[in-house]
Amino acid sequence: MALGTLGDRRTKDRVAREIMNRKADPTGALFQVAVLFALLLALAILVLLLQDVVRGSWPVLSERPGDFLSAELRTRADETGVFQPLRGTFWIGVFVVVLAFPIGIGAAIYLEEYATDNRFSRFVDLNIRNLAGVPSVVYGILGFTIFVRFADGFFPGSVGDHAGKTTAAAGVTLAVLVLPIVIITSSEAIRAVPRELRDGAFGMGATKSQAIRSQILPYAAPGILTGTLLSLTRALGEAAPLILVGAVTGKLGPNTGFLELEQLGEKFTALPITIANFAGRPGEDWEQVTSAAIVVLLVMVLMANAVAILLRNRYEKKRR
Amino acid sequence: MPRSVQSPGGRLHVQRSNRRSTRMLGLLIGLVLVAAACGSSDSDSDSPSSAEDDAAAGDVSGAINVSGSSTVEPVTARAAELFNDNVSNDVEITVDGPGTGDGFQLFCLGETDISDASRAIKEAEAADCEANGISYVELLVAFDGIAVMTHPDNAITCVNYGDLYALLGPEADGFGNWAEAQAIADELGTTNTFPDASLDITAPGTESGTYDSFIEIVLEGIGEQRLGEDADTFIRTDIAGQAEDNVIIQGVSGSGSSLGWVGFAFAAENADAVKVLEVDDGQSGCIAPTIDTIADGSYPVSRPLYIYVNTERAATDDGLVQFVDYYFGDAYIDSVTRAFGDTGYVALPDDLLAATQAAWEGR
Repeated sequence: MALGTLGDRRTKDRVAREIMNRKADPTGALFQVAVLFALLLALAILVLLLQDVVRGSWPVLSERPGDFLSAELRTRADETGVFQPLRGTFWIGVFVVVLAFPIGIGAAIYLEEYATDNRFSRFVDLNIRNLAGVPSVVYGILGFTIFVRFADGFFPGSVGDHAGKTTAAAGVTLAVLVLPIVIITSSEAIRAVPRELRDGAFGMGATKSQAIRSQILPYAAPGILTGTLLSLTRALGEAAPLILVGAVTGKLGPNTGFLELEQLGEKFTALPITIANFAGRPGEDWEQVTSAAIVVLLVMVLMANAVAILLRNRYEKKRR
Repeated sequence: MPRSVQSPGGRLHVQRSNRRSTRMLGLLIGLVLVAAACGSSDSDSDSPSSAEDDAAAGDVSGAINVSGSSTVEPVTARAAELFNDNVSNDVEITVDGPGTGDGFQLFCLGETDISDASRAIKEAEAADCEANGISYVELLVAFDGIAVMTHPDNAITCVNYGDLYALLGPEADGFGNWAEAQAIADELGTTNTFPDASLDITAPGTESGTYDSFIEIVLEGIGEQRLGEDADTFIRTDIAGQAEDNVIIQGVSGSGSSLGWVGFAFAAENADAVKVLEVDDGQSGCIAPTIDTIADGSYPVSRPLYIYVNTERAATDDGLVQFVDYYFGDAYIDSVTRAFGDTGYVALPDDLLAATQAAWEGR
């Protein structure tokens, strides 16, 4: 008992000392300044980049915003537009949402809820993690060897010339590229679901699939959504795999509308590819066009991010 | 017993979860549709329902696929644009520029109708085409001349490949003064005495064909002899490349002892600001680049640009024939000399253009 009080007093003293001394903690203060500086530096670089791009794009985006979005690729800087690359990037996004999201989330559910912890499942898990780190160019080669050839003749109108270098092949390639990321982020979100929730569901007599659908997935939804939509933005910004799958740079012939499914079997181009191509052309007006195309891609990516945040907030509110 | 307890509760759960997941799915689909609708408003103004026009068009239609050299890409893309604007919008022309070699690979597989090339077809590539039964006609399009320039104050008027190698080759890494390159130039048999002045180099960016061609034509030969064929680079690595040709002109005119090179069209436009040097390739003496010397091939630092047309395809596809006709007809001057908007390549003199047209007619 006496020993206990003594111990208590010592702890109290130590806590008091800690509180008193906090003001005179030079290393701590230095650390705080250092991390603040890191944050400011990161912000400054971002702001600098953004204002440079936006200012560079201003002549184009202020003078002919509609025309720039609706015009095809042209060889004259004052006539060119990003309709075709915007369309390509949009459809690549659709492929990622339709293919990578359900397959990835499904695989994650299996890995977390059904797979038993044995050598095989650990091997699969390790491989998925490694796949997430594979350079995107490698996926481009995969896309070329498998999907470009597979897509040959698969869609109406894709038989013959340039057969497999289609929007569909590009979309599937990028869906495969982000698949491991979707699986990993979804797995982590599912793993973070509290054990009590599961036990509660089983306690109520729910079957496994009922527990997954009614409790686990809704609870994990915010985490899953954030991860998957971030992987979507990654896919929208990729250029390297698309070079190998055959994105067109100079002039894209087929003039299908934005939503016509027919174009899935036709040649394509995408915003990152177009940006790189514009940047290589001479003259100040091409610089402006390049900046404008970058702004279009940024807006697209930011929109996807905004959707991710909105959905996450929505599901987080529901969770409570 | 447990079962009877479970089923009402369980069903309730299922129903609620179904509603939730449907809502989630609905939201996702809604988003896709909203995004799509946003996009479709863009497309309305753009796509003049080409599919419907196809049926009505009695003229020409179809698709033409072009791939190959990125140097020629803007010329063909411009010609295609003009063709769609002025002749027929129903021919879908796609122009890509992955490179001459990649272009021939596709061409000889029959995947493209026209192959852009910044060099003549190689024997191996021609054999490839023959093996696949692809017959073609080679059409000379233009010349891509490269002008070597210095400041008008510089006394030097003519350089040979050895001089340029001494000043710009990998062995010149770090040279900041013309005189430093004298030793190597002497070794290579120069007749010039370099000034004792700073060596201010302004060169095209590494991404440009002008940069590559200059190395290939001027520096590679001597570099291979002196350093072996496997050398990492045949050009000094401390040159800051300029993507914009006008900046190269500014750089060269901004220093009294400058050195640089640029596409011929730009140098000719700025003949008062820079001095275009004569070049000696060691065979035909000092020759200044002019439209004539580039066109007749006597000026050494230039390369021919070609298109190769699949003749079998041309025999059956009227759209392809009309396009190539137009390429070397009404579109020719605009697309060749103003491929980049303000500037372009050296157009063929009349006799060579006539020869190209004759080659096309006689396919």
